[in-house]
Amino acid sequence: MSQSAVDVPPKGGFSFDMCKRNDMLIQKGLKAPSFLKTGTTIVGLIFQDGVILGADTRATEGPIVADKNCEKIHYMAPNIYCCGAGTAADTEAVTDMVSSQLRLHRYQTGRDSRVITALTLLKKHLFSYQGHVSAALVLGGVDITGPHLHTIYPHGSTDTLPFATMGSGSLAAMSVFEAKYKEGLTRDEGIKLVAEAICSGIFNDLGSGSNVDICVITKGNKEYLRNYMEPNPRTYVSSKGYSFTKKTEVLLTKITPLMERVEITEVGGEAMEE
Amino acid sequence: MECVFGLVGNGFAIVAADTSAVHSILVHKNNEDKIMVLDSHKLVAASGEPGDRVQFTEYVQKNVSLYQFRNGIPLTTSAAANFTRGELATALRKNPYSVNILMAGYDKEAGASLYYIDYIATLHKVDKGAFGYGSYFSLSTMDRHYRSDMTVEEAIELVDKCILEIRSRLVIAPPNFIIKIVDKNGARVHATRQSVQDVTTAAV
Amino acid sequence: MSIFEYNGSAVVAMVGKNCFAIASDRRLGVQLQTIATDFQRIFKIHDHLFIGLSGLATDVQTLYQRLVFRHKLYQLREERDMKPDTFASLVSAILYEKRFGPYLCQPVIAGLGEDNKPFICTMDSIGAKELAKDFVVSGTASESLYGACEAMYKPDMEAEELFETISQALLSSVDRDCLSGWGGHVYVVTPNEVKERILKGRMD
Repeated sequence: MSQSAVDVPPKGGFSFDMCKRNDMLIQKGLKAPSFLKTGTTIVGLIFQDGVILGADTRATEGPIVADKNCEKIHYMAPNIYCCGAGTAADTEAVTDMVSSQLRLHRYQTGRDSRVITALTLLKKHLFSYQGHVSAALVLGGVDITGPHLHTIYPHGSTDTLPFATMGSGSLAAMSVFEAKYKEGLTRDEGIKLVAEAICSGIFNDLGSGSNVDICVITKGNKEYLRNYMEPNPRTYVSSKGYSFTKKTEVLLTKITPLMERVEITEVGGEAMEE
Repeated sequence: MECVFGLVGNGFAIVAADTSAVHSILVHKNNEDKIMVLDSHKLVAASGEPGDRVQFTEYVQKNVSLYQFRNGIPLTTSAAANFTRGELATALRKNPYSVNILMAGYDKEAGASLYYIDYIATLHKVDKGAFGYGSYFSLSTMDRHYRSDMTVEEAIELVDKCILEIRSRLVIAPPNFIIKIVDKNGARVHATRQSVQDVTTAAV
Repeated sequence: MSIFEYNGSAVVAMVGKNCFAIASDRRLGVQLQTIATDFQRIFKIHDHLFIGLSGLATDVQTLYQRLVFRHKLYQLREERDMKPDTFASLVSAILYEKRFGPYLCQPVIAGLGEDNKPFICTMDSIGAKELAKDFVVSGTASESLYGACEAMYKPDMEAEELFETISQALLSSVDRDCLSGWGGHVYVVTPNEVKERILKGRMD
């Protein structure tokens, strides 16, 4: 029963020590919690000089819109980005983890990361958790071997495609791609098509909504167009806003004055001698 | 069914518990003491799975006295309650215990206090608390009549009100209760409220 | 009933002009039974950083203890306080570590960062960060809080107006939630002052 005196920060990996207790609570008739989902439309396509990724910006928790403007295009490497759909915590954690592995790998080799490396690291992780880490990803980037676009499913299987969609709005987005995609699109045509695909997700899929984020990756360059389109602006803001006539009834007030924050600047190197 | 409740008065804390050991529809005994005297100035009233209750409260008691031996100073009630919560919370991760605890104590500095710790290790300092089916009746009775400056006599009167309410309104009301008190003079049995006497074999 | 609804809670944080406010209800219940009306869900990490934890009370306490421990280790090693966004990442990592057996609570983090820039953020129980520029909510009253905040919030409010807004948003929301309420606890933090207020609420 007794544990080590203090619990030391863990070395890494998942900890399963609360599963038993949580199971007990579920046995007692309490329902397990729901997690934040992206419930998403994410897409990507290859155009004449690179890759364009796109995503909507809605995060949901059951039927509630939890975040109206979240970021679903995650940074992996300077030349690689990754769109995530599924359980928000999983997409966030898995992309962060692989992105840090890629950075270490770049330090070690002194070369730019390749998309295939990111793909392998991601699918290895996801496969080893047998789909329980529920992240569905669209991975895109441009490396020494040219532009690449992949989709990765939660179980770890992958596809290599010229245009791809994922998430709950993938069907709506794919219908746009199927109708209008062709090889050798220009940059502007590509962005327009991606935005159109995301918009069809935003308007036809309830799990997707709000704005369009786009990321254009070309050889040696990238452009992150956060909120490229805002097709659903708030229309009901009153200019004055709410104001309250009656003061809220307060039972007790405690005021703690704080010290002014002091900036400490080092004065030359000699002060630190001895 | 189980009724454990307690309250803090002016310079003392009182806890009361039923004394029935029940399994399914069968009453095994009527003089089971569910309020442990943890150390000289602490009481632990526990309800829940009988095995878990005895095992866990004894474990806490022995560790609290071990601390006292090692360090030469007793734990405060707040420290003992936090220790108990910590142990219960870690134990829950391996094999769920099911014990609800009311911990009452008296400290020189803090005075009398009562802590509520439920089976999933929620700790809270309260003026009055209750567990089990009896809580539905005793909590409302205490809500109506409790004052923080009660004397022992007034508090006992309130405890009796609670017991009366339980006996008259709860279908499966236990017959006997034990009432313990802790104040500056230490923790001890204050009274019992018995409506059924245990028949010993010797007497037959 | 969901595990989050077991104890009942409401937590909200709002951003003002060089200041922020974080507020919670005060009820501790076990399903529909109220245990206490002075429960603490908002905790101070350092002068300019607060965390509010909604959800299962036992995990609120466990998680808070772990976070304080980790923050103290950081202070010892770095000889400075954590920045709010660093702290948010720490909380997120601690929660995600238990991805398959989570702590059953949803944190709300609010703090003043560099240049007194307010930072607020919330997470689900497995650490998916949700950064916001205006307000964040969590707990059983979160649905009504979303509505109230969406209507009442204005950007760049001064401390006093921010207090009035967050208090009204909290009180009107918990009135539509059976499981939270019984008053409110509001902290308004400006660069050189922390104002802590207890609000009077409905008692039903």
